[in-house]
Amino acid sequence: MLSSKSSRFAINSCRNSSRRVLTRKYFSTTHEECDVVIVGGGPAGLALASALGSKHSLRESLKVALVEAGDLSKVQNWVPADGTYSNRVVSLTNASQAFLNDIGSWSHIEMDRTAPIEEMQVWDGISDARIEFSAAEMSLSNPGQGMARLTEVLNLQRALLRHLELMPHVEVIDKTKVMGISPESVDGGWPLVQLENGRVLRSRLLVGADGLNSPVRSFAKIPTYGWAYDTHAIVATMFHSAKNPYHGPNTTAFQRFLPTGPIAFLPLSSTASSLVWSTKPDLAAALKNVEPSVLARMINAAFRLPEVSMRYLHDRIREAHQAGTPITDAEIKSEIQWREQSHSIGSNSAYSSAPFDMSEELLGIPPDGSELLPSLVTSIQPGTVASFPLRYNHTETYIGEGEGSRTVLVGDAAHTIHPLAGQGLNLGLGDVECLARVIQSAVLRGGDIGSYTSLLPYSRERYLENHKIMSACDKLHKLYSMSFGPVVSARSVGLEVLNEFDSIKAAFMMTAGSSPRVQRENGSLGGDLRSTAFNVAAKGVEGLTATAGVVQAMRGGLAGLAVNGLHSLLTAISSSQVKK
Amino acid sequence: MFPTALIRSSTVNAAEIAHFSRLSALWWDEHGEFSFLHKMNPVRMQFIREKLLEVAYDEQPENAVDPTKAGILHGLDVLDVGCGGGLLSESLTRLGARTTGIDASESNIAIARHHASLDPRLSQSLSYKHTPAESLLAEPKRYDVVCSMEVLEHVDNPALFLSTCAELLKPSGHLFLSTISRTPLAYLLTIFLAEKVLGKVADGTHTYSKYIKPSELIEFFTKYRSPSQDSRPWITRLYGGVPTRTEAEVRGLIFNPLQMGWMLAPKGAWGATECNYIFWTRKPALENVLNSMAQR
Repeated sequence: MLSSKSSRFAINSCRNSSRRVLTRKYFSTTHEECDVVIVGGGPAGLALASALGSKHSLRESLKVALVEAGDLSKVQNWVPADGTYSNRVVSLTNASQAFLNDIGSWSHIEMDRTAPIEEMQVWDGISDARIEFSAAEMSLSNPGQGMARLTEVLNLQRALLRHLELMPHVEVIDKTKVMGISPESVDGGWPLVQLENGRVLRSRLLVGADGLNSPVRSFAKIPTYGWAYDTHAIVATMFHSAKNPYHGPNTTAFQRFLPTGPIAFLPLSSTASSLVWSTKPDLAAALKNVEPSVLARMINAAFRLPEVSMRYLHDRIREAHQAGTPITDAEIKSEIQWREQSHSIGSNSAYSSAPFDMSEELLGIPPDGSELLPSLVTSIQPGTVASFPLRYNHTETYIGEGEGSRTVLVGDAAHTIHPLAGQGLNLGLGDVECLARVIQSAVLRGGDIGSYTSLLPYSRERYLENHKIMSACDKLHKLYSMSFGPVVSARSVGLEVLNEFDSIKAAFMMTAGSSPRVQRENGSLGGDLRSTAFNVAAKGVEGLTATAGVVQAMRGGLAGLAVNGLHSLLTAISSSQVKK
Repeated sequence: MFPTALIRSSTVNAAEIAHFSRLSALWWDEHGEFSFLHKMNPVRMQFIREKLLEVAYDEQPENAVDPTKAGILHGLDVLDVGCGGGLLSESLTRLGARTTGIDASESNIAIARHHASLDPRLSQSLSYKHTPAESLLAEPKRYDVVCSMEVLEHVDNPALFLSTCAELLKPSGHLFLSTISRTPLAYLLTIFLAEKVLGKVADGTHTYSKYIKPSELIEFFTKYRSPSQDSRPWITRLYGGVPTRTEAEVRGLIFNPLQMGWMLAPKGAWGATECNYIFWTRKPALENVLNSMAQR
């Protein structure tokens, strides 16, 4: 993608050249007329191109082009070595899967490289209060498919590209930068997208699927609002021994909320899982710098040791990193052993990391409670450790106006969120599903798909929906970053209250898109499902309100405040479901 | 402007034309003066689309048009009377029609032409003419579909206007009209609220006494016979004041202030046609003419 600096320069230079073109002849032959120009070949952009290309009724009405600076043939011809996994993974909700299936892209996914998530274990690092989600108790139409499916982003992108290859009417222009975007210099003119190779695409609708620093967004002058969390996420591919037959397959996702941020263990295959560890930037830098075996030991500890010991280990690693002598495997091993002893964690306990140094044959029946924890990580796939800063971002609108009209934003160009609920890419696919539907409906009514009137239903449906899920994730992050005593005890009550209410879990998971989205071909909603969700959510919230009252009486003002926070969050979540 | 003689023989109201000419530059500002029309346009198109598909299916269920196809007007000659800035004309053209948009305001036509010139998909089959509908009668060309949206309430002598639109149709052709009913509710919403209180629509856009009730339109077509055809009236039967769906249909257009959008009311919805409504009727086919001549 363009850096903002170069794009600003490029936009200026493009404006000059386009004016020259325009003065020569108003409808100049140097422009190529396009109905939809998608900037960005990430999952959202590719999915939009596939969705529009797959709709038979749109074929003759829309000329679609996608522009990407990178080399997409590398993605399309991606052949990973056996048993290795890319570190960028996505948990596709059932709604996202249903959408990809509808447009015909899902069949191009290599299913062997996906893993269903049938259960989630989420717990608080300080109080150990735990919440369990299981697909079996979520009244899904097909519990066997799990509540989400984990796969590599590359697997998804490759599938979309393979699907697009079957659509010659959708033009994919890769290895080509967008040099600039400028408005035509006539009243009501269309955006002109100038490409590196000299081509100029005159676009009826310009879609920004171009990520966090979206050049399309800067062209449309759409303001964005957000902040950087004081948090970086470390990702890596982890190897571990296969789960013991007593525990069944590796289909449980684990997440522990530490005060430094949540650490998540996401299953990819029986012996490989993906790490998403959100933590303080300096810790992330230190952890990225240690030997792989040290990182593996730290991951095991982060899921097992009490919070006070984790704080100690964090300090040790931070100090060693600052001193320029990264901690060694032997050092961290003895530190962890000492910590386990002082917490009286015996070598037979599920919380012990002792098996890390034992050969597999020596391991017998797993100890009690080991189903509550992820498998012990034995090694890290070389070259997969990476980190990136986390941000919360939401644009003020998704549709450009005035000089920037005929633009629309999808995916990360419109919003970025904390990855703790794994919703980022799913929100983007939700945008794409909606935008494709809105475009189709406008085309069938003879609408100009670049007009504000045609696009308004898209922003109306998605903006609030995204905002609710985004602020829910943001609030969860903040709630769990606190180690302040009364808040912790209140939130442990909150979580345990949560655990009691299957209905709330169902509502939460439905919002997170676990049940396939209702078909909305003709704009009509499945009335049955909608009202069921409403009842479920209403019942749950009612129950929680009563409990919150009790807690308030028990713990007084401050604790009540935290529960109220959780309560309002749940209300937001359930009412967003009601809206659907 | 037209020669005085033309104005006298047409249904064009000079004051109305002056009013819309003043506003013409605003036609394509989707947030401005005509935002209500921009939002109404997809709903009017939805009605046109659904009605034409319904008729096509009734006539030839075995090779009816694919309802998911966009170009359902392909190959049809369509006339948009009182096209304004071309909101409806452009949409009709995108569905495949060979469209002629006419308007009595020259500045409206200029705006419509400029706007259409920006869209490469329109240049082939959309043309605009600055003329009153009456002068088209002198030309031989007749149309498969005639639309006149939000125009009826602005013309003088609506009966003459309706028969002009009717005469411009080919046999079996479709007439679509949308307008406002003459009810206290319509006065409250379209004049008192929209113009006087909220100022969403320019003051003086509407005149209450010019509003026409759906029953009056239906009554007109139960009596109206095409002079050139000498056939049956366009509407032959009424059941409790309601025509059969193969001869005519009235549907309410309802503005939802919470969503700031229009919706097409379901068929026969109670009270739905008390304010804005859309009307469809159809010119009798030639066979009917032959039949009625044979009977005599």
